[in-house]
Order: sequence, then structure tokens, then C-alpha cells
Amino acid sequence: MNNEIAEKIKGMLVENLRIPADELEYDSELFGEDIGLDSIDSIEIIAGIDNLFGVDMTGAPREEFQSINTLTKYVEEHTEAK
Amino acid sequence: MTEQKRCVVTGLGLICGLGNNVDECWDTAIHGKSGISVVKSIDTEKCYSHKGAEVSLPDSKLSDEQYDRSSLLCIKAAQEAIDDANLKLEDETADNIGVILGSCVGGAASIDKYYTERYKNGSGNKADILKIHASAIANNVAKHFNLNGITANIVNACAAGTLSLSYACDLIRAGKADVFVAGGSDSFSSLAFAGFHALHALSQDDCSPFNHSNGITLGEGSGILIIESYEHAVNRGAKIYCEILGSGVSSDAYHITAPRPDGEGQMSAISRAIKNSELNFADVDYINAHGTGTAKNDEAEFLSLHKLFDGNNHLSVSSTKSMTGHCLGAAGSIEAVFTAKAIESSKLPPTIGYSEEDLDNLKTKSGTLDFIPNTYRNKSVDYAVSNSFAFGGNNASIVFSKNHHKILNRSNKSHIYITGIGQLCGENYQPDKGYQAEITSADYKEYGIKMAFYRKLDRLSQLQLLSGVKALDDAKINVDENNENDIGIIIGTSDGPMTEIINFQKNVIENGTQSGSAFLFPNTVYNAAGGYLSIFAGIKGYNVTVANGFQSGLQSVCYAADVIHNGNESIMLATGTDENTDVESDLYSHLGVISENDLYSLQDNGFKLGEGSVSIVLESKESAEKRCSKKYAEVAGYAMARKSIEFGQLKGSESAMKKAIYEACSNAEISLNQIDGICGFGNGDKTVDNIEMSVYKEIFDKPISVFLVKEKSGEARAASAAMQVAFAAKVLSGEIQSSDAYILSKENVSYKDVNTKEYKYMLAVSFGTRGTYSAVILRKIL
Repeated sequence: MNNEIAEKIKGMLVENLRIPADELEYDSELFGEDIGLDSIDSIEIIAGIDNLFGVDMTGAPREEFQSINTLTKYVEEHTEAK
Repeated sequence: MTEQKRCVVTGLGLICGLGNNVDECWDTAIHGKSGISVVKSIDTEKCYSHKGAEVSLPDSKLSDEQYDRSSLLCIKAAQEAIDDANLKLEDETADNIGVILGSCVGGAASIDKYYTERYKNGSGNKADILKIHASAIANNVAKHFNLNGITANIVNACAAGTLSLSYACDLIRAGKADVFVAGGSDSFSSLAFAGFHALHALSQDDCSPFNHSNGITLGEGSGILIIESYEHAVNRGAKIYCEILGSGVSSDAYHITAPRPDGEGQMSAISRAIKNSELNFADVDYINAHGTGTAKNDEAEFLSLHKLFDGNNHLSVSSTKSMTGHCLGAAGSIEAVFTAKAIESSKLPPTIGYSEEDLDNLKTKSGTLDFIPNTYRNKSVDYAVSNSFAFGGNNASIVFSKNHHKILNRSNKSHIYITGIGQLCGENYQPDKGYQAEITSADYKEYGIKMAFYRKLDRLSQLQLLSGVKALDDAKINVDENNENDIGIIIGTSDGPMTEIINFQKNVIENGTQSGSAFLFPNTVYNAAGGYLSIFAGIKGYNVTVANGFQSGLQSVCYAADVIHNGNESIMLATGTDENTDVESDLYSHLGVISENDLYSLQDNGFKLGEGSVSIVLESKESAEKRCSKKYAEVAGYAMARKSIEFGQLKGSESAMKKAIYEACSNAEISLNQIDGICGFGNGDKTVDNIEMSVYKEIFDKPISVFLVKEKSGEARAASAAMQVAFAAKVLSGEIQSSDAYILSKENVSYKDVNTKEYKYMLAVSFGTRGTYSAVILRKIL
């Protein structure tokens, strides 16, 4: 996995969604009970990923948003395809 | 039981996308024409929607005043309403006319202008800073017409307009005033457009409430009603449009933007309004629905209306937002004007936008309810309801009546006690920042607030949530299904969530209207803090946020006490909350009001900025006795007063300060000299300190001790005002037995430690920079 991408996504989540950095691991379940992201947050993730990498996640299936790991994988796959 | 005081509507004023006065708007609405077209005032090029219902007149055609557009729209509508009511403002009675207005975005257009100039030129116009707060609106309107009665800005987003009418009526019924200019106002703004765009809540086409329901269309405007006591109206021979009966206010306690899908909160507000009006659901002839056109609202409102009104076979419902767009804080007031016109003319405005196919679909879901599709109805209306539901889960419903409808006086003049205090304030002073509060994750953990919840909160909401739960904990109140509807909240704030608003706006200025943050936007409404508190604590009763300058944290106590006296709730949280962030200190520094000296001294050249939140639990005697509550003190008396002055020049407003104090004494049934000590509002700024000391010296015949909470925690605005009440309560409960005070006599001022053990009465007074004052007197419990 590309750590540079993962770190950028983590920074975006911390900055834009006010998730405390020390409670956010690459495999933390973003929409689980602890972090508790919801539909408004997913709009913000889509905008953040688009800003950072020019990758449009609109309409991407829910499982792609599961963790920093899955988001990183999605970005990797979709930047390679460009 | 005696009859409740009657409230009547004697004047109407309106400006919105449909026209520039009541007649134009009404004629357009009745003919089912839309005010929606392509947005002109903001850049929507890169947005998926370009629709809006803007007012055609530029600022210069609304008024000669140099205020924000929200205030100017309001002045235009208020002038029409005052003329329509034939109110003679040169009469001495004009001094007692109050102004209560609702707004969602406040001075958003001016925030956009100020920060755009800073972004482009490196500096903004200082005069624009005075236009950005919602606190300015009612005071601007009052100043323009030289009205000196009670003022308030109700800032509960899309329910603000309706809540303002409700509060005005409650004050008239309580005998606190005879006439109000009441309603709401909001200008078109990139803030709201970018926010609803980010949430994907804007409709691509004209909004289509109760039909396609694929989003809202924003509008702008102002609706104003002149509301009078019946006696006052009859004495001056005024024409009467209709009466306003009861209203209902509730909280969803569910989600910060979405309504409860089961409609529970909406039904609670409507049911309270019907009950307070001593009516049955079967009596209602017309409902002007909230009907925004979002799927979530329309589905919940459909459900609520069916559940409450099915079986009423003479009920018509329409959403005039299909023509005016959603005018946010003005919406409820614009719809109230339409409702009054419907009653007067026996014509009901339609919900427009239905095709033949849509009409067939409507039949399958409307049941016996008539949604007045496309074409107006000729129908006599005896009783009408107007609904408004807002972000934060705030719901309001109000009832209008064509004829006199007798309602028994349910007001409960029982004793009110302070039974809990939660306090959070900035204790650490840093020369360049002022006083800031320290909040860590441990603070949230202590009250079981999970990260998934608190990470959503902006600074104002963080402060408010923590002080609110501390106060509930201190009062030993467990909110559950047995009491959730008997507890309400009044939040007082001077500046609201200004940091979140400005950060949201800066991003839009730099990156375009299409780049609004969906995460930040829900927190940009002033009532988000109260919304989060109700959601976390499960409080489902009254929920209003008042923004009226520094004294808002004292006005909230007055308002909350009135809610208990009106019999609407038995427990109220009254709060004062304001934040001190880099954004806030930057604004106050630009205004040049921050002291350059590190040490506090009386009559300095400015103040030190502070922040915090203080929540005070007020409880009726019956509730306090039933719960065996600890009692800090009794709320013996309270009053609000105002004198029009230029912004920033307190001089000239002494008469309002004295009036608030005298009326609070009269309300407490004590003489002025029975007051043992004062918790004052002095903040170190010589203008403020001089006014305060000169008034006390003049009115007291004895040396009087003045305790200043701002000495140790800075000018935390509404938080300081509420802290003054908390301090006084702690003195009277014995928790504080001595404290440093300024002893004022006619001849001199001294400063020393004062023993307060024998104190029986304490006065708290606070001020707003536009000449607004509140005073609260607390009594020791013997």
C-alpha cells in the first residue's frame, strides 16, 4: 500500500472531519461506532479525495469508504488507470 | 380561571421573490406564479443548481441605512407593516413598541463582502464587521424606527420567523409589552447556497414540495407582522386581520440537519400549538406547511399531517415555498403573512408545480387532505396553522384564528428556582489571545460523550454541550421518557458560531460556491449548539437561541423564566455561550476594542476577550419540590429594556439600564435598596465601566458592592452575562461567602474583599452594545 497516499488521506480526515489523529489508524472502521462517520461525512470524503488526487468517488460502493486502507486502494487503482 | 390576553395582527409587511409589498406578493401567490428564477447575486456557474427566488430591489432601494441586506429587507417590510397598522411612531407609546425578529444567516452577505475584500486586497472595511452578527438586525430595525421596547433576535435557522411571532405573543400575554414589530428576515447568501449545495439539498429545478421533493430552492425576503394586545388595538381603533392563538415549540433530539423520519418532534410542536389554543385537530381549516421540497422533510411532514389530521375532511394544506423559495429565517414570517391574508380574503394560496401525472400521484398519497395543487381555493378559514421546522431539530407551529377564540389563562406564576449550574470559562490568559477555556477528550469522557459525537462540534457547540451536561448533572436531572418533553433550552449568544461561519465562508471565497464544506455547514447556524445539546441529552421540549449582544446570556434567563411562567415547561436550561478563537480575536482586534494592558483595571482603553459557556437550570417550585432539588436561589424578578443609540456609544442608554433595574425590582416586589450586591457587567473598557458605575451611583442611596466576573475571565460576552447570574446564585446559596468587590458610593470607589454571608438579594445586569439591557434579581432561599 502507498503510505504517502494513506498519510494524505489521514491528514484530510483529521483536518476536514475533526477525527483526533491519535485515534485514527489505517484500518480503523470509519463508519463504525467509534468514529461514527455518516452520510454528510462521506460527501466530505468524496470532495477531499477529489481535491487531493483528482479521483471522483461519487457513486463508489460503500465498502470503498470503510477505512483509510480501502480509500487508499481505491485511489491507487483509479490513479493508475488514468 | 380568567381569559388569556388576546393577541391580534394589525399590520402586514412583506418583501420576497414574489414582489416588493404584501399586495404584489399576495396577488402573485394566489395566481400561482413563481418567484424563482436564475440566481443573480452570487456566482453559481460551477454549481449543479442555479435557481433562487431573489428580491428584485438592490440595497439602495430598500432603505437609506448602511446596514446588512438582511436588516434592509426587514426595514422595508417593517415600514409597510407599520403604515398598514397605522401605528403613529411619534406617539410616546412608540417607546414601548418592541422588535422581535428571526434570522438564519444574519449578516452573511456582509461576511462575504468583508472577507472577499480581505482575500483580494489584504484588508476589509471595519464598518462591515458591525454588520455581520445576527444580533444587529432587531436593533437596527428598532433604531431606524426609534422603537425602544424589548428587542430580540431569534436565530433558530428555518424556524426563527415562527418562533419570533410566538415569543412576541407570549410577552404580550405575560403583560410585558403591548405591541411588537415581529417576523423574520434573511438575505440571499453564498453561505446558504454553498451549504445546501454541499449537502446536495438544492433542487436542480424549481423546488417541488409534496411532489417531486428533490430539494429546496433558496429565497430571500422579510415578513413582518404588527402584533398587539387586543385592548391596545381596540383603544387606538386599529383594523384587525386575525388573532394569534397558541404556539408549540419542540425539539427532535435526533439529528443536526435531518428531521425525525417518524415525525414525532413535528407532531409534538403541532399538538402543543393546538392544545395551547384549546382547539382540536378537526377544527383546523388551513395549514401553511413547512413543505421545503426535500425528500426527508416532505416525507416526515406528510406522515405528521396524516397522523394528526386524517379524519378532518375540510383541511387544506399548501407550501408557498413552491413560489417564494425557502427564505430560511424569514420563511415562517412570510408564511404567517400569507396565512393572515388567507384568513382575511377567504382565499388559499396553492402549492404549484404539479403536472397532470403529478396530480395523479398526489391523489394516491394525499388521502382526505387537500394540497391545493396549482390553483388557489376560495374557502373561508376560521382556524389556520403555520409550521416551521429547522436544522438542529427545532420545530415550531403557530395557530391563527379569524374570530375571537377564548383561551383560559394557564400561566403559572409559581416560584422559579435555580437548581443547577454548569460553568466552563477561559481561565488562562495569554497576552495575544485573551482568556481561552481548555477542553480535552477527558472532559467529554467524564459525561459519556463519545468521539463520534464530539468530533462534529464546532467551538461554540463544544462549550455549550459541556456546560449543559454539567448543569444537568449538577441538578441531578436524568432526562428520560417521563420528563423529556418537560425540559427546554434557551441558548443566549452574542456572536454565535462565528468561527465556523467564517471558515466556511473563506473556503467558498477562495474555492468557489461549489466548494462549500458539508461537514462545517450544519454548524454555521446559530442554533446548532442548542441542537447538539438537545440531541445528546435527549431534551425534547422548548428550544430557542437568542442572539442579542453581550447581554444574551442574561436575556436567556428572562426568556426561560417566561417559558416556565407560561406553563410550557417545568425545567429550563438558560445559557450564555460565546467562543474566543483566532477568528474572533482577529475581528475584535480589528474593531480596536481589545485592551493592550495585561493587567485588568477599571476604565482601561478596552477589554480582554474571553470565552465560555454557563448553563443555569431554572425549575418551577412544583418540579423542584417533587424532585427534592438542591436550590441555589430563587429568580425573584427580571426585566429587559432598550434605548436606541449609535453602535459602540453606550452613552445615552442609561435610561434603559435604569428601566431594566427598576422593572426587575418591581417584578420582584422589592425596593431598590433591598439589593445587597450587584454582579455587574464592567469589562475594563472605560465607556462601559463609566456608564455602569454612574448609574449605580445615581440610583442607590447607599454604598453598593459591585462584583465583576470579567476581572478574572475576560469579556466572554453572553457567557459572562450568564456567569453573573451563576455568581449571584452561588453567593446566595452560601457557596461563595466573600469576594473582591468595588464599593461604589456617591463620593468614591474602593476595592476590597466583601463578606456576602448575610446577602438576601443580588442583582445581575448586562448590556448590549446597541443599548439593550437585561436585569435579573435573585433571592436567597431562607
